[in-house]
Amino acid sequence: MTFLVVLKLTPYCNKAIALQYVLIHQHFSRRYSRSSGAILTDTSPLPDQHALSVRAQRLCAMRQGAHALLPGLLALSVWGVVTGVAMVKSGLTEHMAVLMTLLVYAGSAQLTSLPLIMAGAPLWLIFVAGLVVNLRFVIFAAALHPFFKNMSWPKRLLMGYLSVDVAFVVFMPRFTDAPKKGTLEQHWFYLGSILSSWMVWQLTSLLGIALGSFVPTSWSLDFAAVLALIAMMMPLVSNKPILVSIFTAGVVAWLTQPWPLRLGLIAAVLAGSAAGMWAERVFRKGRI
Amino acid sequence: MISDDWYVIAAILLLALCSVITRSTYMLFGHLMPLPDRVRSALRYAPLAALTAIIVPEILPWHAQHGPMLDLKLVAAVVSIWVYQRTRSALLLIISGMLALWLMRWVVTLFG
Repeated sequence: MTFLVVLKLTPYCNKAIALQYVLIHQHFSRRYSRSSGAILTDTSPLPDQHALSVRAQRLCAMRQGAHALLPGLLALSVWGVVTGVAMVKSGLTEHMAVLMTLLVYAGSAQLTSLPLIMAGAPLWLIFVAGLVVNLRFVIFAAALHPFFKNMSWPKRLLMGYLSVDVAFVVFMPRFTDAPKKGTLEQHWFYLGSILSSWMVWQLTSLLGIALGSFVPTSWSLDFAAVLALIAMMMPLVSNKPILVSIFTAGVVAWLTQPWPLRLGLIAAVLAGSAAGMWAERVFRKGRI
Repeated sequence: MISDDWYVIAAILLLALCSVITRSTYMLFGHLMPLPDRVRSALRYAPLAALTAIIVPEILPWHAQHGPMLDLKLVAAVVSIWVYQRTRSALLLIISGMLALWLMRWVVTLFG
């Protein structure tokens, strides 16, 4: 009776009391079920237990995602240091380099833009070059889309923005044949991969930027950026059409160097893509 | 060093926009636009062509007056690619390329 009076006097405590009631009830029912489980037929998981297990599942999947990525993270950290050093050595101030690392978060686009920025190329060309170099992410996103289409759009935006090559490479072989797409495990596995990549990349980039200001320019460490781009291309050069495409792009890029504003880049991309598609058709015909 | 800060900031913002567009657009609107096979195969070649077009002028530069010329960086790049073919290691590619460049420059200063 006094309990009810208290309830009426303090309506704002209702929520707290209700919560307490639920907790006490669960406590007792759990004890009861443990002592005589045979009598109690209702064995559905309790709300807080269920929440806990979901959280445990998420954490577990996240940890797996980060763990599967370990070799990739090693490569990523080398790449991050090189990019950091290259940004400073090619003439960006440290502030600008930090801003670029934090906002752009795309090593190849950053390294690609450096010679263009140094040459004072027009902004639209830097934008187009950044788009083209990042085009591979369109293919990644198209492949990843079925796994994330049941998420809300802000989450999809974030998951997309944080996507990196290594995370994609680890994720796809693991889940391509999954019977159900868009599960909790898949989402949190991917999140674990991309969050660990983000942290490793940013830390190593900042380290590179700090190192870059100490290393003398005469060491020409900006060449390490070119080497890093070559290192990135090498595993992708896997068949003849790609070789034909690269060779064509290279010749066009070499011949068009006297063009102003590094516009030869556009010509090289168009020629390279066309040559690759042409070669693909020719080689396929030859084989059949 | 670059004096034109706003130019660099604008470039950085545009590149950030590139990241969002290429990575997130398909995640957001993928159900509205299936990717045709022809486009897909073109997309496979364009990024490598662009990377090539960035690398080539760095290792095979044209001089403003003298036209095309050989650079030690080209030799260093060839050495690094050879090392990669042997070891399949991106890290060794970068290290060997840098070492080759430094070594050749040192030799050139010895004889020059």
